[in-house]
Amino acid sequence: MNSLRVAISLLLTAIVLSNVCAGDESTLSAADVQFFENKIRPALVKHCYECHSADTEEVGGKLLLDSRDALLKGGEAGSPVIAGKPDESLIVQSLRYDGVEMPPEKPVPEAVVNDFVEWVRRGAPYPATVSAAAKEGPVHDPESLWAFEPPKNPPIPDVQNKTWSLDSLDSFVLAKIEAAGLQPTEDVDPRTLVRRLCYDLTGVPPSFARVEQFVADHQQAGADAVERLVDELLASPQFGERWGRHWLDVARYGESNGNDGLGRNPTFPHAWRYRDYVIAAFNADTPYDRFLTEQIAGDLLPADSDQDRDRHLVATGFLAMAAKPAKAMNTNFDMDVVADQIDVIGSGVLGISVACARCHDHKFDPVPTRDYYALAGFFTSSETMWGTAAHEGLTAPKTDLHVLKAAARVPPPEGFVETVLVPESNTGKPKPIPKSKWPVGTPLAMGVRDGKTPADCKVNIKGDAKKLGEAVPRGFLTACRFESEDSIEVAPKQSGRLELAQWLTRGDHPLTARVMVNRIWQHLFGTGIVRTPNDFGVYGERPTHPELLDHLAIRFVDDQWSMKQMIRHIVLSRTYQLSSNASEALMKSDAGNLLLTRHQRRRLDAESLRDSMLKVSGQLNLTPADGSIIRHRDILVNLAGNLHQPSNHRSVYLCYLRSSPPPELAAFDLPDFTSVTGQRDVSTVPNQALHLYNNPFVIEQAERLAAVVTKKTENDEVRLRFAWQQVFARDATPQEIENAGEYLRVTQTELSSEDKAWASLCQALLVTNEFRYVD
Amino acid sequence: MSIMNHSRRSMLQSASCGFGFLALQGLCTQQAAAATSVGLAAQTPPLPARAKRVIFLCMSGGPAQMDTFDYKPQTGKKKHPGSVARFRQHGDGGLWISELLPETAKHADKLCIINGMYADTGIHAQSFLQLHTGERLRKRPSLGSWINYGLGTENQNLPGFISLNTSKSSIYSSAFLPSIYNGTPIGVNGEDMSAATISNVVSDHLPLAAKRRQLDFVQSLNRRHLDQRRGDDKLDSVIQSMELGFRMQASAPELLDLSDETQATLERYRVGKKFKIGTCRPTDFGRQCLLARRFAEAGVRFIEINHGGWDQHKNHRRDLQANCETVDAPTAALLEDLDHRGLLEDTLVVCGGEFGRPGLTPDDGKNETGHNARGFTFWLAGGGVKSGYVHGKTSNTGDRAVEGKVHFRDLHATILHALGLPANDLNFWHEGRDHRLTGPDGGKVVHELFA
Repeated sequence: MNSLRVAISLLLTAIVLSNVCAGDESTLSAADVQFFENKIRPALVKHCYECHSADTEEVGGKLLLDSRDALLKGGEAGSPVIAGKPDESLIVQSLRYDGVEMPPEKPVPEAVVNDFVEWVRRGAPYPATVSAAAKEGPVHDPESLWAFEPPKNPPIPDVQNKTWSLDSLDSFVLAKIEAAGLQPTEDVDPRTLVRRLCYDLTGVPPSFARVEQFVADHQQAGADAVERLVDELLASPQFGERWGRHWLDVARYGESNGNDGLGRNPTFPHAWRYRDYVIAAFNADTPYDRFLTEQIAGDLLPADSDQDRDRHLVATGFLAMAAKPAKAMNTNFDMDVVADQIDVIGSGVLGISVACARCHDHKFDPVPTRDYYALAGFFTSSETMWGTAAHEGLTAPKTDLHVLKAAARVPPPEGFVETVLVPESNTGKPKPIPKSKWPVGTPLAMGVRDGKTPADCKVNIKGDAKKLGEAVPRGFLTACRFESEDSIEVAPKQSGRLELAQWLTRGDHPLTARVMVNRIWQHLFGTGIVRTPNDFGVYGERPTHPELLDHLAIRFVDDQWSMKQMIRHIVLSRTYQLSSNASEALMKSDAGNLLLTRHQRRRLDAESLRDSMLKVSGQLNLTPADGSIIRHRDILVNLAGNLHQPSNHRSVYLCYLRSSPPPELAAFDLPDFTSVTGQRDVSTVPNQALHLYNNPFVIEQAERLAAVVTKKTENDEVRLRFAWQQVFARDATPQEIENAGEYLRVTQTELSSEDKAWASLCQALLVTNEFRYVD
Repeated sequence: MSIMNHSRRSMLQSASCGFGFLALQGLCTQQAAAATSVGLAAQTPPLPARAKRVIFLCMSGGPAQMDTFDYKPQTGKKKHPGSVARFRQHGDGGLWISELLPETAKHADKLCIINGMYADTGIHAQSFLQLHTGERLRKRPSLGSWINYGLGTENQNLPGFISLNTSKSSIYSSAFLPSIYNGTPIGVNGEDMSAATISNVVSDHLPLAAKRRQLDFVQSLNRRHLDQRRGDDKLDSVIQSMELGFRMQASAPELLDLSDETQATLERYRVGKKFKIGTCRPTDFGRQCLLARRFAEAGVRFIEINHGGWDQHKNHRRDLQANCETVDAPTAALLEDLDHRGLLEDTLVVCGGEFGRPGLTPDDGKNETGHNARGFTFWLAGGGVKSGYVHGKTSNTGDRAVEGKVHFRDLHATILHALGLPANDLNFWHEGRDHRLTGPDGGKVVHELFA
């Protein structure tokens, strides 16, 4: 770009122009003004201003095109316009790529060239002042901006079937189903319901005994039995592990930076503290507004105790998890970190992609570049602390970390030696390990804190940190509309993150509550009411049930942002308790299940599948893992080989290294955790089959299960019944017993080993669709 | 080209319409699906195709084009940046190729050199992503995924997109395209390639016959499970993909096992030879080239192999020499074998990196170079492109492309065109609009490159 610009300016100097007239303002006809505003100004803005406007630091050929005076004055080559003579005007020649090529990246469309020809022919009329129309931003279709309007409390709709609804939310669903002339499918049977609830609320399947007990309870107590089960599950520590994991996806939680683009991937040895914080927050039912505030501005909150203070500091790890591109040769590095922070707030909390506005006004979403830099100011005014980056300065400069007060000092185990060393990039010889500035075992945490000199951020023109425009006062998304206008002021001497958190958690915020209830809904139904959970903007999908979404969002805020309450409301609804089976006619009438006429069958995610295998093989250790296998390892993952170690703890405690995921989980659509994940893919690829056939973890669980089953008794039939109960939490059918018995006999003969035959049978059960799907 | 427009959801839905993937593929080109085998059935492209598959030799780090293929001798009295390696003309086309690539130079008459490449940024990660996906900031489907989306695969026992010695998953991701088009990684950058394999492809805990019996038992349970859940064809897709996975157990390890190659071949490809000098890390590029040939023979649609290390900032001459030596003989062996086996006709070989480097000024004592995205080199071979041909040029100092400029999106358009796919009409509906590999600006097919 720069060299092109230089080249052009040289060319411009070589051509001397005269006879300039760009239209005397007083003589401009309305038609000329209209032509200019409709055709020429937008093209100038779009194609020329980047290099030829006052906002640019380095003006191409010293030529400005952003005002009439500037056009008349011209650049190094004089004015580009000879009024009335398009063919001789440099501007037209350049657009035609005739001798000079403008814009340098690629020619503008023919139609635009013709507009300029016409404009010059008319005498290049250029109104002296910016018209009101041009000042206004792009015009948006109000319907597409629904999410920027505050939710309205919709009346509960009238329905024909007065007895169907269990919760007010059901009426919103039923009203639409009835309007379509349909009826919802039948209720789910209790056996399926208990399995669904256990997976949805805790991520672990129920045992056979528990299923039996619930079925009996349900027969007696009906809905009360469901309520008791739900309350018990919500109170269990496994709830936080399941729902914390959902949030960790949003928070792009990773225990290493991920490939920096140069093949280096430093660990985040302290990231696990943030994981534990999130799990604890869900178990404690920390209100969502509080939860967000702690993560965005925990360091600025008052604390009653050292524990409190530690917790707040650890929460800010949310903002320090960026998958940073290498610092080497990257002048935009600092702004790349900020971009990640804006993205996690934008896509993660607001459900609006703000990222594009880093470089240009968002084409369709009403997020101008100024808003981006207004948000950026919060983060450029803060210090982001990721740690040492494995002492590899080319990847990222070293930063400080939060030092915790109440957390235990955990030194590395006796005899621990750091084994993976960073080589000098030049010689390939190992670098000495720099001494840590803290005593060994000091409890540390990633996070953010206010910078020394908070200041507003300047616009980076086209996203280039070297091309700076004007500073934008720290502030919020201007497109959001509120019920009340009490504006939040940002104190100039602080980063303003606390004010950002206040703004995000306003009770009348149009996005925050909607986005979160939609995430909750999605985790319970498979798809959200808005099916693009990170994008409520113009590109995103419209809600299938807009009133329902608003109803839930308002209830959420009224319930003091309690996530457990919201989950409770939803799972106790009739809609949630529908069967996933439906008549062929209904399946046809509501093919995409957009009306929610039935429940959606879902495959277990990577974590639940592993946890379930551990559970049925009797191996699952439900105590939380202590820390992380990399807590003492400030190293480059890519040089370390496989760091993962077998573990029987729940999957959420495995080591989520970016670019090096836990091998037991990798095959089943684990995200790469480099950006906000709202919804995991559910792919069906042969690698998954290979995992199920051959992964040592699966084989081991099959062997363990076989050992449990065969220890039970000598009788194969009893063993088989027990295997079915253990794996599927139901009794086998006579046909199944017969087929499995036959399979066992043949296999045992073939392999000449009873153990192997049983292990192969158990593996078969663990890889079936029945085990891997939830109805 | 409305037939090339599908939404993710409609694809996924169609993927679960009884015939599994076949139905999906049938929809994709409106061909009748023969329900004989499972997978991404091969498709006839909408346009005449010259190539059926692509091997991409990805040179990450920014190869020094002026010391490899873009000869920039001194032109005036005052020394200017240019080539410091010696060059000679090769082949009937008289291609200028550096002395550092003597083996590749022997195949000069197979090469189609593009000297006018340019890209948007000199930031490694961004430009590398753009090279693979057309987009430098966000996760988008990779070139190999788009090609499989358009063409399906020729081998029902293997994935259609394999990425060897790979780095980030965003490089071989199918992003919003259905995940059946995702690349299958083999080996991770920085690890020993000789141990690289497809995860979990083998295990000796059961003999294959017992595994087959076990799978039959699983499938009988799966079918009964499905019978009770009529209309949910996702379950059906799983049943089908369990079969492809099973077949891969037999086909993939065989392909990865080089023991049936002669010693002479292994020698020619320099398999196992490890260079570790400066920025040049051992990548066993010879093994990668040989595996690429084997996968190409087996009908894999898109194979990417990788050698990083071209980011030689400080010790330009020494590191460049090491990098060139690493790739030279294996590349030559690959071209030779493809040619001898008649595969070069319909295999498009593409070689290049995310950008190039500025030249050194001879005799000024400096040995350090930076990044240059304004002008650099790619070469193509086979797949119907001209041979012994040079397209485009850079300025006298090589600092920027001045003629025959080719952007990544143009390169992408050209590769798709070679495969018979309409680059700017290969669309996929996602988040409310059509997306394509060549982005909103579209790519220009460089027709001059084709014979």
